[in-house]
Amino acid sequence: MGNFFPRWTNWLPLKLAIGVVFIVLGVAVALPYYATPKYTRVGYQPTQPVPFSHKIHVEQNGMDCRFCHSFGERSSHSNVPTNQVCFNCHGAGKGQIKLASPKLEPVRKAAETGDPIKWVKIHKAPDYVYFNHSAHLNRGISCVSCHGKVNEMEVVYHDQPQSMGWCLDCHRNPEKNLRPLTELTNLNYKPESLDRTAFYKSLLAKNSAADIAAEIPGGKGATVTDAASLATLAQKAYGEKVTQTEVGTQLKKHWNILPPQDCTACHR
Amino acid sequence: MKRVWQHPEEAKTGRRYWRSIGELEQREDFLKNLGREFPNGDELSEEERENSRRTFLKIMGASVGMMGLASCRRPTINILPYTKSVEWMVPGKPLLYATAMPRAFGVTPMVVTTHEGRPTHLSGNPLHPSVSGGLDAFAQASILDLYDPDRSQKILIDGKKADAAALDKAFDNLKKSASADGLAILVGAERSPTADRLRGEVLKKFPKAKLYSYEAINRDVQTAVNKSLLGAGVQPVVNLEKASRIFSLDCDFLGLDPVSEDGVAQFSKGRAADKPDEADKMNRLYVVENRYTLTGAMADHRKAVAASQLATAAALLAAKIDPSLAGSVSNLASAASPELKIWVETAADDLLANKGKAVVLAGSRTDAAVQALAVAMNNALGAFGSVIETYKATGNEAGSIKDLADAIAAGGVKTIVSLTAADPMFDAPSSLELARNIKEKKVVLVHLGLRLNATARAANIHIPAAHYLEAWGDAVSLNGVYSIVQPMIQPLFGGISEIEVLLALLDKKKFAVEVPKAGAAPTAATDDPAYAAVRESFAAAAGGANEEKWNFTLRDGFLKGSQAISSTATVNSTGIASFVAAAKSAATLSATSPEIVLVPDSSVYDGRYINNAWLQEAPDPVTKLTWDNAALIGSATYKALGLVEGQQAAEGLVQKIKITVGGKELVIPAIEAPGHVSNSITIPLGYGQEATGNVGKGAGFNAFAMLTNPGEFVLTGAKVEVLKDTYQLAITQEHNSMEGRSVFREGTAELLKKEPAFAQTTGIDSHIPPSMSFYNGQFGKKGVDSPDGFDFDQKHQWGMTIDLSKCIGCTACLIACQSENNIPVVGKDQVQKGRVMHWIRMDRYFATSEVGAEKRGRDDVDIAPTPEQLENAEMVHQPVACQQCESAPCETVCPVNATVHTEEGLNAMVYNRCIGTRYCANNCPYTARRFNWFDYNKRPLDELYWGPLSTPEKTGMREITKLQKNPNVTVRMRGVIEKCTYCVQRLETAKITQIQKQRDSKDFRIPTDSVKSACQQACPAGAIEFGDLGNKDSKVLKLKASNRNYEVLKYLNTRPRTSYLARIRNVNPKMPGAAGIAAWSGKNF
Repeated sequence: MGNFFPRWTNWLPLKLAIGVVFIVLGVAVALPYYATPKYTRVGYQPTQPVPFSHKIHVEQNGMDCRFCHSFGERSSHSNVPTNQVCFNCHGAGKGQIKLASPKLEPVRKAAETGDPIKWVKIHKAPDYVYFNHSAHLNRGISCVSCHGKVNEMEVVYHDQPQSMGWCLDCHRNPEKNLRPLTELTNLNYKPESLDRTAFYKSLLAKNSAADIAAEIPGGKGATVTDAASLATLAQKAYGEKVTQTEVGTQLKKHWNILPPQDCTACHR
Repeated sequence: MKRVWQHPEEAKTGRRYWRSIGELEQREDFLKNLGREFPNGDELSEEERENSRRTFLKIMGASVGMMGLASCRRPTINILPYTKSVEWMVPGKPLLYATAMPRAFGVTPMVVTTHEGRPTHLSGNPLHPSVSGGLDAFAQASILDLYDPDRSQKILIDGKKADAAALDKAFDNLKKSASADGLAILVGAERSPTADRLRGEVLKKFPKAKLYSYEAINRDVQTAVNKSLLGAGVQPVVNLEKASRIFSLDCDFLGLDPVSEDGVAQFSKGRAADKPDEADKMNRLYVVENRYTLTGAMADHRKAVAASQLATAAALLAAKIDPSLAGSVSNLASAASPELKIWVETAADDLLANKGKAVVLAGSRTDAAVQALAVAMNNALGAFGSVIETYKATGNEAGSIKDLADAIAAGGVKTIVSLTAADPMFDAPSSLELARNIKEKKVVLVHLGLRLNATARAANIHIPAAHYLEAWGDAVSLNGVYSIVQPMIQPLFGGISEIEVLLALLDKKKFAVEVPKAGAAPTAATDDPAYAAVRESFAAAAGGANEEKWNFTLRDGFLKGSQAISSTATVNSTGIASFVAAAKSAATLSATSPEIVLVPDSSVYDGRYINNAWLQEAPDPVTKLTWDNAALIGSATYKALGLVEGQQAAEGLVQKIKITVGGKELVIPAIEAPGHVSNSITIPLGYGQEATGNVGKGAGFNAFAMLTNPGEFVLTGAKVEVLKDTYQLAITQEHNSMEGRSVFREGTAELLKKEPAFAQTTGIDSHIPPSMSFYNGQFGKKGVDSPDGFDFDQKHQWGMTIDLSKCIGCTACLIACQSENNIPVVGKDQVQKGRVMHWIRMDRYFATSEVGAEKRGRDDVDIAPTPEQLENAEMVHQPVACQQCESAPCETVCPVNATVHTEEGLNAMVYNRCIGTRYCANNCPYTARRFNWFDYNKRPLDELYWGPLSTPEKTGMREITKLQKNPNVTVRMRGVIEKCTYCVQRLETAKITQIQKQRDSKDFRIPTDSVKSACQQACPAGAIEFGDLGNKDSKVLKLKASNRNYEVLKYLNTRPRTSYLARIRNVNPKMPGAAGIAAWSGKNF
């Protein structure tokens, strides 16, 4: 009786075992990446019925986000504007801008028939998640933190994973994203561009200088009374430029920001 | 880790609370289900087993395949913005509108929550000057009628579907004939100035027209007596706030027989004694009735008396209160038993001692003698002008249903336009022969109604009615406060309102309206004739068409400063004797020839709510019966008749009886009702309708069949025969049992004076042993002693108190909760299996003191109470929802962390994590958790067992049903546990509203008491208080410090955030049997 199995099969089990190890490793590595919102959601860029360019409207025309998305600070939902809002600029007898543009055809049709434009939803929270825009916008979380630099997008895409873990990251450490309320819709904002003295002055309106100083590393117990000396103190601790840590820590403390981490905050 | 409870042993003698006779007697079938979280429910039935085995693989195969397909692509979801901005509308925020629900005999002002144009939830209008902010169960559930898929949706002419143009033509013919022949307008008892005015105009336009008023549960007798004794045009309205002694002669003023729109709130204000010195300020309620009602349950002294002997009790009372009447009532009073005599006369002394603050209330269906005597007594007690306010009555003179029947029989009526919400072809007394005469005399019947009921089916022309949330209208309260009824939504099925029908009769409205093209200029509101008519009435009420006043009235829900004209009542005392003389002498009653008492039902009222699933499934407050009616029989008669509960009594299988009275027969299941008088059978009306939708189909038995003469709701001379047949009822009284533990606490006003903190030292509470558990959980205030405690300074801490002194057990909270929290209806079959989903369980206990007194101290003896004790058993109510324990037993047993604690003290339920082990429900000592055994939201109730294989066109929630859902609450699916969340969606909204104001400040705390849970908002008695325990000004914190505050099962150390305030009964020590009422068991252990 000859050998059923050729010689090379002697090593087959070992090779297979090694192969399986690699496959398992590969799956283990790939799954957390490819099967999570980081991969499945980010970059989603559907074609919209109207080729509306946020870039032109914000960067060129200097429009504020809230011109169209007007209820974000008052409601859970940040609304998509009605046709009437479009026609404030593009309408006959109103702004008269690009009245006959073929790109605006769906907008005109919608106004005529009353059937709404079917925009394609990009950021979709699951039905069991109750996200509230106003809770974030009123407390120094900018649009850009969740939606990316929409001002630079010709066609809007999904910029952040918006997964539960991603939400919790910020709810645990809100300092990373807090900014003064005046900079809320300034999507190009950088903490470095802040005027340090002005920042501390704004804080002084509702807080004592000692409390503010206590949040600056090494500032506890310092005898300071005005914004300028606070700025000097901060410069010593953080360097020449204002940093996000500096802004975030101060705002978190003095605005009493305690992001809820309970299930009921988002699930009801 | 599962905790082993150290329950103290229960006392077997002394005062006991029990929910059913089975529990009282510790019957085998009761004990069998006792330890189960879901009686019958946690075992699969044969049907369920078969289904699952057969279909498991099929379903699995299919769903795995579909899963693969579904996950391939991200589905495209669209955002559809409004094309035109809508006034006031902020997408994502609810809009609140004030309106009013027109009711028979009054008005219920309310605030409607609408989400993107669809009304989702109703609540009372707290701004209204005379009706404080609660709602009753009917008003709360009325929103479901708006979205009833079985609502009448089509105009029917001679039974065939017709369009609006055809209706216009039919109306033209009708108007032509009406000018020549008799026209009868049949209206309900709602009080609408516009409708009144238009009815008047119709009468003027058609000289041969006559107005008739009809309600199945009517007050014709009462109105007639009042008219004769007080004079025409006087409207008495009782203000219970001013009454410190109330004697009710079968008047269920807290339940189905209100004496004013705000009766419950007014009564409750007199029940709030908290400190010893407040005990004397309490009001005192005496009730005489044949069966238990909500009013009887709130009574300080209650006597069960046969309804046909009510006149005797009234006569006894009258003789004592007004001695000048003693002669004329002596005949009536002579039939009284000595026991009743002492009882009534002692009460009379108490009333007399409180002249000017005492009132006698006669039920609206009692006979004329009782009504007349009540007027006489109130006059003698000085109630008129103090407790009873009198106003000038408004509205047109209208004939009764009997007048209409006579007119038809005489051939004087050629057309009837029926606008009443009642269903005369179903519920009118049979001696009137309405149906036969209408047919014989070829009368044209035009019917306007919400449902395709018997009258709709008999009508030549049926017009689908608009719900009150769909149409313009107005209403005026009993004391004359004017409210506008404004539409929340366009009629869903093209419904037409009463005002519009009247306008059509007046040639001011055409039903066929040209539908405006999309994009066309909107039609002005003033183009709507109904709107114009309401504005005209408003102008009359407001003294001129003032636009600003109109807007304020719309916003506030009432016209400021509007009030009825007062009138003084002078009682014509000479008229009383004739009413008394006409009284029937009390019939001799026996078990086989008892009296039959027909009463309105707590779920369907007179039958108009038969297709309302929320009301049908809300257990009756007294019997805990759902989805059916049954004959209620007192214990002694029940046994005398030889009725026995079947082997499966706990599962609701009961025997039927056949009642024959006046040649009419009714076969109906009979249940034993503690607190019911002997030789008397009570049957709720309104069930057993053939012409109804899916919900009401097959529900109950038609007791209207026995109603022969108008106003005769008490029938004597009946014969009762016990049948062998049984019938399946769904009774929830034994579900989620608290196993007899002392969960309800009550005492008398005397006790409150002597021992103010009695509630806190009852039972084991005065010496609770230290916790036996390793795990104590997080509880208490964060501090040095308890570093793991809750943060009261930086977070809200929610808590609730429920005042058992005020709670009347009406189940309005339960339905409000259902409406707010998207709680599904499960159907009779599932209720019977103990799978009801209500987050609030309204526990009803009967209490008997000194059960087997002679055997006291011996635990080994049989403790059956005497029939007399059962007849006069006390009844109490206790709403139980999740107690939000700080140290929650449910949390520790969940294997997947699906129920966890929040920093605000809420016991949160995370539906997405829940895998349905039901360990939590099993470990909840309050049995407050509910499990979704099926996709109740997704599947039709008759196809639950089919699972995903149910009829495809029926699967999924109906569009119309979706409209009612609260968008801020998850609609739960099969296999998850749910329970009270303290309305967490409202809490989050309140906190975020504060955040919008807070912005860059530290001030996170919501304004004091600015958030209300749905149950609290609904409670007409103000029994529920809810708020932030971290806010030292909050009301709930003050109540938690009350003497009466106690926690249920405190010895378990669960630290519930919901606590109860013990009930106080204002017992008159002189009354017979006073010692046994609310007798405090003292330190039992």
